[in-house]
Amino acid sequence: MKNEFQRLGDYHREDIDVALRSGSLEMELGPFSMRLEGREADIVDFLFDAYRDAPVRLKLGDVTDVAINVRPPNIIRKYIRRQVIADPGFIVPAVPLPPYLSPLAFEMGLNLAIALKCCRFTTFHSAVVGNERGAILISAHSGGGKSTLASALMVEGYRLFSDEFGLLDMETGMLHPYPRPVSLKEKSIDIVREFTGEKWLTKTFGGTPKGDIAYRRVRPSDIQLSKTPMAAKLILFPVFQEDTPPSVRELSKSETIMKLIPSSTNYHLLGTASFEALIKMVAGAQTFEITYGNTQDSLEITRDLAAKAGL
Amino acid sequence: MIRDWLKTIIGQAPMPENIAERAKMIEFADTHHVLGQMAVTWEGKTEGKLKEVLENGLLRTGFDHRMLRFEKDRITRALLGSGIAPILLKGGAYVAVGSKAAKGRRVSDIDIMVSEEQLDQTEGLLRAAGWEFDETTNNDYDIAYYRKYMHELPPLRHNKRQTVVDVHHHLLPRTSRIKLQSNLMLDAAMPLAGGKLKVLAPVDRFIHSAVHSFADGSFDTPARTLVELYYLLRDLSTEEQKNINIRAADVGATQPVATALWILADVLDDTVADTLLKASNAKPSGLIVRYALKQKLMHINKAYSAKTILLIRSHYLRMPWHLLLAHLLRKAIRNVRTLLKRADQEDS
Repeated sequence: MKNEFQRLGDYHREDIDVALRSGSLEMELGPFSMRLEGREADIVDFLFDAYRDAPVRLKLGDVTDVAINVRPPNIIRKYIRRQVIADPGFIVPAVPLPPYLSPLAFEMGLNLAIALKCCRFTTFHSAVVGNERGAILISAHSGGGKSTLASALMVEGYRLFSDEFGLLDMETGMLHPYPRPVSLKEKSIDIVREFTGEKWLTKTFGGTPKGDIAYRRVRPSDIQLSKTPMAAKLILFPVFQEDTPPSVRELSKSETIMKLIPSSTNYHLLGTASFEALIKMVAGAQTFEITYGNTQDSLEITRDLAAKAGL
Repeated sequence: MIRDWLKTIIGQAPMPENIAERAKMIEFADTHHVLGQMAVTWEGKTEGKLKEVLENGLLRTGFDHRMLRFEKDRITRALLGSGIAPILLKGGAYVAVGSKAAKGRRVSDIDIMVSEEQLDQTEGLLRAAGWEFDETTNNDYDIAYYRKYMHELPPLRHNKRQTVVDVHHHLLPRTSRIKLQSNLMLDAAMPLAGGKLKVLAPVDRFIHSAVHSFADGSFDTPARTLVELYYLLRDLSTEEQKNINIRAADVGATQPVATALWILADVLDDTVADTLLKASNAKPSGLIVRYALKQKLMHINKAYSAKTILLIRSHYLRMPWHLLLAHLLRKAIRNVRTLLKRADQEDS
C-alpha cells in the first residue's frame, strides 16, 4: 500500500489509532508537518471530529517540523488517577489534564511547539483570514475576540489561515496559512454556533482550566489553499468592551509595529530578518484598532474596512 | 543507535535511510541541543523538510550568538576602567575565537572567570550594571557557600534582559578532590582583540572542557559534551594535540583528559583521540564510571543506575563528606521550611 497523504476521515479508526500509538502518524497543514503520538482514545475521537479533512499518512514520509507526544506526566499517573501532558520534546510548564481533556493538551502542546520551534517564520499570536486579494491579520490577547471574529469572517466567505498564528515569511513578507481548528471559549461557542450552524462545531469540552471549549472545524477549501500565502491588506486590533458603541481608530505604521512585536513568540530570536519582514508587511496594510460590544458590530466594521482596503 | 546518530551529527556517518529513525535522530539532536551544530555540518547537503528543520536549528543558534556578542560588550562596559580583563570560558570563548566548537552551538549562560582578588570588585560592578542574584540564592548562607567552597558565584541574572552570567573564581570547586593547577591555565590565557577580555589557550580550552565534563558535575549534557570535545580537539594543530597529555599532567588533569580521549575514541571512533590516549600512560576513570558515562550517553532517558552512580560521584568529587553532609542537611532544612511556609500561606 502506498504511504500517501489522504483525508483523515477516509481512514479506518483502527489505522489512525495504531499509527498514533506507534508515533508514526504524520499530518501536514500549510508549511508545517507534524508527527503525532498518543495512546488516548479521546485523541482519536478528536482527530475524527476536528481534523477529519486534514491530510495525514500512517507512516512518516520524512522528518517533521514538530513532534507531539501526549503521554502521562509520570509512571504513577499512567495507572492511578490518570493524567496526560503534551510533550513537544522540550521542557514546558504544562498543567497535567485528565484523559478526557487530552485533546486540549494536544492542541496546546502543538501550539507551543510551533510557536517555539519553528523559526523559519516570524510568528505572531493572531488570527488570520484572507481571500484571493489579500489577508486580514487580527491581533488580540486570548479572550480578545479574535477567534469569534475570524469565525464570523469565515461565514462571510474568507478562508481561514489560522486562529492562533500569523506566520510571516521572512523573505516575502507574506502570511502563510496554517489552518487548525478554531478554538472557542465559553460564550463565543454559542455565538459561533448561531451563525455557523451546528455541523461545523466539535463537541464541547466542559470543566477545562479555561471553562468550556469547543472547536470550529476547518473547511476542506481552507486546507486545499493552505500552501498559498497572501500579503496582509488589513491589520486589526479588536478591543471587546461590553455595551460599548462601535468605534474605529486608525493606527500609524510605527504604533502597529510596536503593538505587533510583543505578540510575537520569536521576533526577538530572528534579528534583522524579522524586523525587515515586519516592516514590509505593515507597509502594505491599513491598520486599525476597533472597539465593539458585540460580534455583529465588529463584523460590520470589518466589512467596511476590508472593502476600503480593497479586499 | 545513539552512537550512529552522534556520528551523523558530526558528519562522520551518513544520514539514516530509514525515515522513522531519521526523525528520531532529528528529535534527539533538537532535544539535546546539537541541532544547530548538525545543521552547520550538513549545510548544502540536504533538501526538502530536512533542510527546513535544520534551518530552524541554525536560526535558533543565530540568536544565541548575537546575544552573546551583545552581553560580552555589556560586561566589558560594566568593567570599564577597573583594569579587570575576565577570561571568557566555554561557549563564550568558542564563539569569540571562531572555534569549530562554536559553529551552530547553543549558548545560554555566559561564563567568565576573574582572579580571586578581583572577585568582589567584579561582582560589585556587574551588580551596579543590573545583574542580580536570584531570590533563591540571595541569602547569607549561599553567598558565603559559593565563595568559600564553590568555584563560581551564584548565577547573576540581568534585571532587564534576563541574561545569566556565571562569575568563576576557580575552574573547579575549592574543595574538589581533583587539585587542578588553574593558576597555570590563567597565566597562559590570551587576550582577545581590544584587550578587555581573555580566553584560555587552545589546549587549555580542551582540558577545561574535559575537566568540566568528567571531574565536575554528573555528565548532564552528554551529547553536547561529546560534540564539543570532538570539535575542540579539531581546533588544535597536530603540534598542539601532541601537547595535550603533557599539559594535562602539568595542570593536574590527566584523568579527566584521558577520560575525554577515551570516550571520543570509544563512542565516535575518533582516531586522533585514540592515538593520543595510547601515547600517554594516563588512565581514564575506572570501569564503573566509564560504564556509567557510556550508559548515560547511550540511554539518556533511562540509565537510572548510571545516573545514580554519576550523581553520587559528582558529590564525592565536589567536597569531603563532612562538608557535603553539613551542606545537604542545611538544604534539606531549608526545603522543609519553604514547604511549611507555603502550606501556611495556602491555609491563610
